[in-house]
Amino acid sequence: MTETFLQNLINGALTGCIYALIALGLSLIFGVMNVVNFAHGDFVMLSMYLTFWIGVWAGMDAFITPLITFPALFLIGLLAYNALIDRTLRQKYVTQIAVTVGLMTFLRALAQLIWKAQPRALPYSLIQGSIQIGPYTILASRLVSAVVSVLAIAGVYLFLSRTWAGRAIRAASDDLDAASLLGIPYRQTYALAFGLGSALTAIAGGLLMTFQQVDPTMGVRFGLLSWCVLAMAGLGSIPGLLISGIIVGAAEAIGMSFWDPRARSLIVYLLFILVLWLRPRGLFGRK
Amino acid sequence: MSAPILQVSQLTKRFGNLVALNGVSLEIREGEIFSIIGPNGAGKTTLFFNIIGLQKPDAGRVLFKGTDITGKSPHKICHLGITCTFQVPRAFANMTVEETVRVGAYKRYQGREMSQKVDEVLRICELEEYRHQRCSDMGLAHLRRVELARALATEPVLLLLDESGAGLNPSELTGLMDILHRLNEEMHITLCIVEHVMQMVMSLAQRIVVLDHGEIIAEGSPQEISTHPRVIEAYLGKRVVC
Amino acid sequence: MRRSRKDINRPLLILLLGIAVLLPLVVRSNQYTLVLLTTILLYGVLATAWNIIGGLAGQLDLAAGAYLGLGAFTTGTLLIRWNVSPWLGMVLGGLVAIGFALLVGYPLFRFGVKEVWYALSSAALVEVLRVAFLIWNQVGGPVERYLPYHEWSLYHLRFATYLPFFYIMLGLLVLALLIHHWIRQSKLGYYLMALGENEEAAEVLGVNTQKCKLQALSIYAFLVGVTGGIYACMYGFIHPNFFSGPMSTEVAILGIVGGMGITYGPVMAAILLVSVREFLRANLGGQLEGLYLVVYATVLILIALFRPQGLGPLLRQAYDRLLARVAKE
Repeated sequence: MTETFLQNLINGALTGCIYALIALGLSLIFGVMNVVNFAHGDFVMLSMYLTFWIGVWAGMDAFITPLITFPALFLIGLLAYNALIDRTLRQKYVTQIAVTVGLMTFLRALAQLIWKAQPRALPYSLIQGSIQIGPYTILASRLVSAVVSVLAIAGVYLFLSRTWAGRAIRAASDDLDAASLLGIPYRQTYALAFGLGSALTAIAGGLLMTFQQVDPTMGVRFGLLSWCVLAMAGLGSIPGLLISGIIVGAAEAIGMSFWDPRARSLIVYLLFILVLWLRPRGLFGRK
Repeated sequence: MSAPILQVSQLTKRFGNLVALNGVSLEIREGEIFSIIGPNGAGKTTLFFNIIGLQKPDAGRVLFKGTDITGKSPHKICHLGITCTFQVPRAFANMTVEETVRVGAYKRYQGREMSQKVDEVLRICELEEYRHQRCSDMGLAHLRRVELARALATEPVLLLLDESGAGLNPSELTGLMDILHRLNEEMHITLCIVEHVMQMVMSLAQRIVVLDHGEIIAEGSPQEISTHPRVIEAYLGKRVVC
Repeated sequence: MRRSRKDINRPLLILLLGIAVLLPLVVRSNQYTLVLLTTILLYGVLATAWNIIGGLAGQLDLAAGAYLGLGAFTTGTLLIRWNVSPWLGMVLGGLVAIGFALLVGYPLFRFGVKEVWYALSSAALVEVLRVAFLIWNQVGGPVERYLPYHEWSLYHLRFATYLPFFYIMLGLLVLALLIHHWIRQSKLGYYLMALGENEEAAEVLGVNTQKCKLQALSIYAFLVGVTGGIYACMYGFIHPNFFSGPMSTEVAILGIVGGMGITYGPVMAAILLVSVREFLRANLGGQLEGLYLVVYATVLILIALFRPQGLGPLLRQAYDRLLARVAKE
């Protein structure tokens, strides 16, 4: 009993690191420009399919594909920002939601068109096997995924705090007017934040494809999931995101093994609703 | 001297480490024009929001006609007879002027009486010709009057005005002051004016308190205030230099 | 001769209603077209109901599927288990939807969950209910539960043709429009519009915003719940996928595209967009799965980008121009 619990806790926590990475992308987009992106989960789905494609056509391992998908998703993010999001900045949030919901539907339909409805998975990954610690089995692919996620999160943290572009993003998220006065171009900053936020899903997509399959409806799950992590963490706390991601991942895994495998999303959404009711600012938020 | 209508005692409000209000006490008497002034960031709007119920104070009490209204929701406080206008007009952009005023008038009236109330208020605020105009199409001076009109339609006993003179030109300001005078004298509404524009306060208000860094530093008639050394130092000083 | 708008509006509406009533005679027994027309009406009802909470009160609700599913499951289960007539069942379904709406809405509004977060938590609700009913084997479960078959039974609301459902849905649409129209002219309507624009300003004018939002949510939930009951009878089964996220967002999109708060906007949007979607599905769906949705989504995005106020104001302008021309002649 305790062993099963702990085993699930470990598995869930490791997956949770990837969730934190996805939510970090969303947090860049929502936190910086206050854009409500309903299509974020579908960017994850798109990344997973791209990983699948590259995996099949070029025989590249899922772990390495972000080398190609990261820039690709960055460009797609830039495109989405310039073509759609930039026009909605001065509109009501309702318009933003309408546009991003449209984008969500578009991406899902596109995936269905290109890759058909049935789930796709990559046959193998370079990183195989597992590590045995006492009674617990840790899959190597999950462990590596978690480590890569944490490293990526740390990388973003360094980018935001050490580079000029990163500081510009942070300044814009604190006070756009003041940032403009300091000569920070809002459009480029926003485009960068949106591109980076989307590109982070490329890493997550690659990692996810090492141990699971993808289908066109998957976006909704990752979308709500990342909003849940973000709501729990609150805005502006990167360590908070990591902890929240781990909590969500663990809750999901434990719910699946002790209640019902289908209860997976149920747990996450219930958690999400509870957080919104009880801690509207999140557990670690500063805004 | 008439009886106090609103009593604020030891009101304290903190935002994290920032103390926005520190033990503020004041009394507004029935039928007077009372004013709260102070430099930017003195805590005027915070005081105001804590009286009207939009924020809940951390300590202290607010009494209206002897009943405790501390921390009650704004719609209940409105029902008792206090309402306000906002510093930055919060217009109902997609509604017409008439529709906006109706929202207020529905507080105490239905049907034909409600329509009469709307007509009356629009006449007082000189807005009759703009009746069918949408709020999103109106300028600042008119929006301020729409705010005043919809607040009046709820038939307040005490009306709080947050910087309603800000951004108006001299002739618009005189127009507004005329209306406020009439409200006070003909309709016997007690006014509490939170203001930055000195000209308006000095000629309208009977009593003034000065707020600085969340504390009351002076209280008295306009003459007393304008010669008070601490006020000059904290607030008027800047203007004397100019 | 000058005629006022009101003199023209009423006969025009009656004329449109008359055309709608006669429409099935034109298509005769073409069941496909009947289903399409009924589906348009269905979305019209849902979007009109949404227009109360979303359009008037400004709360971006994405939980239409939750209330639809609850209505369908209440009606369906009562009919399958205890042979309760769907006429009663759909009303009970509406009441169950209200109960659920209050249960969820009270804490949401109490704790001030707003805007994006309201939208997201309502979207989450649909998924919560879908999975819950998937797991709850006594009532839901992964297999469709079929309603008893009847060639023609008014009591069971089961027919071998879609024709009666067309008329029932049309009646419901008229009812929904009347309710929306009536609310818009009432105290509640003014209060909802005010709080939808600015909640704090509405509060200081004496509007109990929490109570008003709950009222709007209840009316919306009831209408959607009742529609769910009819939906179940029309398709002849119930399944947890009735708690559909995509359908919920689509209802909200119709409301937004129609022009928030404009009474006839959502119906116009439903007629236009659902027809476009079904036309695309019929013409493109056969060759390539998903293609029609790609086109449909592009249309949605373009409308949202270039007509953020929705199509409602556009139609209103066209109508006004038409009236002016008629008045001149």
